[in-house]
Amino acid sequence: MMGLKKTGIVFFPAFDWAISPTHPEREERLLYTRDQIFEEGVLDLPQILEYPPRLATMHDISRVHFCVPRVQSRVTEAHLIAAGATMLLGDRIITGEIRNGFALVRPPGHHAMRVVHGNRGFCNINNEAILVDYLRRRHGIKRVAIVDSDVHHGDGTQDIFYHDPDVLFISFHQDGRTIYPGTGFPNELGGPKAFARTLNIPLPPGMTDETFHYVVDNLVLPVLNDFQPDFVINSAGQDNHYSDPLGSMRFTAQGYADFTKKLNPHLAVLEGGYAIESALPYVNLAILLALAGEDYSNVREPDYWPGRLQENPERSAKVRQMVDQLRELWQKRNAVDVEKLFGGGRFYQRKKRIYYDTDYIDEEQVEKLRLCPSCPGYLIIDSRADHGFGHPTRAYCVSVPFSACAACHQEAYDAYEEGKQMSGYHYVYLQDKATDVYYSYDREKRQEWISEGPKMDG
Amino acid sequence: MENSIFQKHDRKKRMGPVELPLGVGVLYVGVDVGGTFTDAVLLEKGFVRAMAKVPTKEDLLSSLLEAFDRIIRQGVPVELIKRVVFSTTMITNLIVEKKYDRVGLLIMPGPGLSYKTYNFPTDTYIIPGAIDYRGREIIPVDLSEVDKALALFAAKNYRKIAVVGKFSSRNNAHEVKVERHLRGKFPDWHCELGHKVSGQLNFPRRVVSTFLACATREKYRGFIRSVQEALAQRNIYAPVFILKADGGTLPLSYSPEAAIETIFSGPAASTLGVQALTPEGETSVVVDIGGTTTDLALILGGQPLLSSKGARINDYLTHVRTLAVKSVPMGGDSVCERVGKEIIVYSERMGEPYCLGGPMPTPTDALRVLGLTMLGDEERAREAMNMLGGPLGLTNEEVARRIVSFVCDFIAREVMLMFTQWEQEPAYRVWEVLQKKKVRPSTVVGVGGGAAGFITQIAARLGCSPIIPPYAPVANAIGAAVARPTLQVSLRVDTEQAIYTILEEGYQDQLKESHFDENKAVELAKMWLFKRIAKYGLEKDLKEVEVTRREVFNLVRNWVTVGRLYDVVVQSQRGITHHVGFEVSNDGA
Ligand SMILES: [Zn+2]
Ligand SMILES: [Zn+2]
Repeated sequence: MMGLKKTGIVFFPAFDWAISPTHPEREERLLYTRDQIFEEGVLDLPQILEYPPRLATMHDISRVHFCVPRVQSRVTEAHLIAAGATMLLGDRIITGEIRNGFALVRPPGHHAMRVVHGNRGFCNINNEAILVDYLRRRHGIKRVAIVDSDVHHGDGTQDIFYHDPDVLFISFHQDGRTIYPGTGFPNELGGPKAFARTLNIPLPPGMTDETFHYVVDNLVLPVLNDFQPDFVINSAGQDNHYSDPLGSMRFTAQGYADFTKKLNPHLAVLEGGYAIESALPYVNLAILLALAGEDYSNVREPDYWPGRLQENPERSAKVRQMVDQLRELWQKRNAVDVEKLFGGGRFYQRKKRIYYDTDYIDEEQVEKLRLCPSCPGYLIIDSRADHGFGHPTRAYCVSVPFSACAACHQEAYDAYEEGKQMSGYHYVYLQDKATDVYYSYDREKRQEWISEGPKMDG
Repeated sequence: MENSIFQKHDRKKRMGPVELPLGVGVLYVGVDVGGTFTDAVLLEKGFVRAMAKVPTKEDLLSSLLEAFDRIIRQGVPVELIKRVVFSTTMITNLIVEKKYDRVGLLIMPGPGLSYKTYNFPTDTYIIPGAIDYRGREIIPVDLSEVDKALALFAAKNYRKIAVVGKFSSRNNAHEVKVERHLRGKFPDWHCELGHKVSGQLNFPRRVVSTFLACATREKYRGFIRSVQEALAQRNIYAPVFILKADGGTLPLSYSPEAAIETIFSGPAASTLGVQALTPEGETSVVVDIGGTTTDLALILGGQPLLSSKGARINDYLTHVRTLAVKSVPMGGDSVCERVGKEIIVYSERMGEPYCLGGPMPTPTDALRVLGLTMLGDEERAREAMNMLGGPLGLTNEEVARRIVSFVCDFIAREVMLMFTQWEQEPAYRVWEVLQKKKVRPSTVVGVGGGAAGFITQIAARLGCSPIIPPYAPVANAIGAAVARPTLQVSLRVDTEQAIYTILEEGYQDQLKESHFDENKAVELAKMWLFKRIAKYGLEKDLKEVEVTRREVFNLVRNWVTVGRLYDVVVQSQRGITHHVGFEVSNDGA
């Protein structure tokens, strides 16, 4: 059905948006990528279709995030455009107008978690997560896989889908002991309701395309083949490139393109990548060509020569071992005694500490998941954010999953009403994905906002 | 534009020189050399004083002389002619009919897109050598390969070579080096360089544009010679300009440098003509209904819309900027058929309308029956309607109304689509996305023979007022006459490398200024624009200049700003010199 269709691209370099003038996430980041893509004339290729971006709505963001205090206070128009771009391409892919797409947009999003107090890891809102929940709501998509190929662990995406059995999240990245955000270890495997729906492959610094593709061939592709997702997203960070100033890996443009070809995602979404001159123009071009089914073998970095990049054999042997173990675990995932691993009872509870590196916020969370026998269970997050000037902000967030059972639905609403009465919280939220209604309550102002969004028209 | 008999016949009646006493004002001449007809007008103080339509003959000189003699009659003081502007479809036709010279291509694409993707229309030789997006050399150019290529081209009898490198607009060193080498070996060959033809990004389009520039140059020079000869024979010594596809004009004598920019200057002329003939500042759709096609153009807030990308010709994409003109396959000669109980108008032409002796019923026959045109034989038109409507029990008038309605629906839909497509153009900045608001036209301006019959209904469907301007049949020549000379300068400065380039001039140099900033960038760009204006002798015409783009990017290394990139575009005022008055319109009809 999707045989001869085109590849869609939204190119939104946000030439007038930056975190700060010298920050890596600045106006110029995609300037040379624009130059390369325009000069190559790839947008004139008949199989590539360029779309202008559109804006995501506050409602689309409330479906995923608890923005404290309000969505409006945490996002700028640039964020709405980047998220809107992924949604636009998602729509066109589902309707069959295009075969696949590339959201070559900034700002990025994979470090943005469910609760948003500010910017972390250059991200405010999670573009991929907003797309996933939009596709589920708007188009009834069931199973989604997200493969994150950024050098940094996609901790935001992991956080959002940690208890979601219908979303598979696989991230390979530089070992968290050597790079931000310091997470993404093999033992982070998803919650009790979504065990092995999260897979992390931390890589020691210095790994090349060889190990990259060992992971892809021996873990990512077999797992995807078992999971049979309806929609595959690639969080296409490019900071694994050998010239990236933030990462210490040694992947190449060809390595990224081969990966794209093998993964064959419905949508690639740009994440990080800060070698804006030496990597991005070439990696982005190679990814776009790979998506479009074009020959990308002539794309190469000016300073690259074959044999330039070598990896430490002992380190790569360790990665292979880890990959084999994870694959074994994946194969035995249904035999795992979840209760033994996570404990039983009505609720599963975990504590988290989240640091916002850009905005210097320290957040503590207590996350409680209802262990419901008939649905994935609703979630309560008790969040306390210290902005560094006393008086931490406290938020009480209740989230109802798409496939919530009636009992969980009712319990979640009760929890929200209770939360509104509890002193100590500044803001109380209810995110009801089942009916697509989002509530937020400001206790001080005693004011409630309800977002019902647009009426669905089939 | 081939506007077929549909206009041709109508015009006979409506046109003819306007017999009015001449004042002593300044005179302007506009001439549109089309494939079939050459149209000419003489304007005085914004009024049409004379117009002519003569067939374009093989012998261009005699057609031009005939047109001149029809508009510049005895007693017209030629010394009062301030300016003569030509527009022509000659280059377009040459390209469409592939009647251009043979050109060999020497290209330096370097790494990137696979060479298999390139499908250029001639023998192409790839030379090792590469430049990056900031103009830095990646791979030196290999002159020994150039020698091999030249030997091959010589053996195949090529004498014209286009040399184009990827990112040559960021650094022309490789192209210049190859040219120098070529001149040393074959001094009499003609060599065209990519960076001189187009400074815009898009290598494949630059290759095609350079190829076409090289291939049409000699023929274009022939056109210029005929024009100059005709002017000399009639003692016209006013400055002469040629219209470009973007609606600006260039002095004729300098135009060989930009010959391919005259591609599609025909539709640009019509659009400017309409702009001149309608009230200022309106947002309108220009609907030019011809025999087989209808051309649509947009005038937004009084300015014709430029297309966002270069023109496509013969399936080749170029860098030639044009006014956004969309051709839709529907016109007065389109074929009408009965399908079941429906009457359908097809997007094809089988010949002349039935009322003019053609084989099939057409919208022209429908207009004839409704009394909206006097073209052709009324009886035959009725017969055509009866062929369609008879079996359905419809009267001839009912059939005619259905056909007109079908055509109007079709065109109105295409107009709306054109607005949507315009809104769908990419935006790369936050403010561009936010400022995109729905713009809809307030007037529909009809040009072309079929306009009178359809325009009212099309306008009604779009919620607009219909206008059929006087002199619509020679709107093209009027457009040429009132088109302003326009010059543009695009400056790019890279302070880290201390270089700057002027894209339109293909010029690059060291930046000597040490404390460079945005204002200095604008000053530098303006300085070059005034230099360009002086070069073309347009100091009197072009006084006002505007900055149309101003972009600054920081070059950062390890969180420290080490330089800046400036992109500044300045241009002289675009558009028309004046509107053309309405008072004498009745005299023309
Ligand atoms: Zn990253
Ligand atoms: Zn439940």
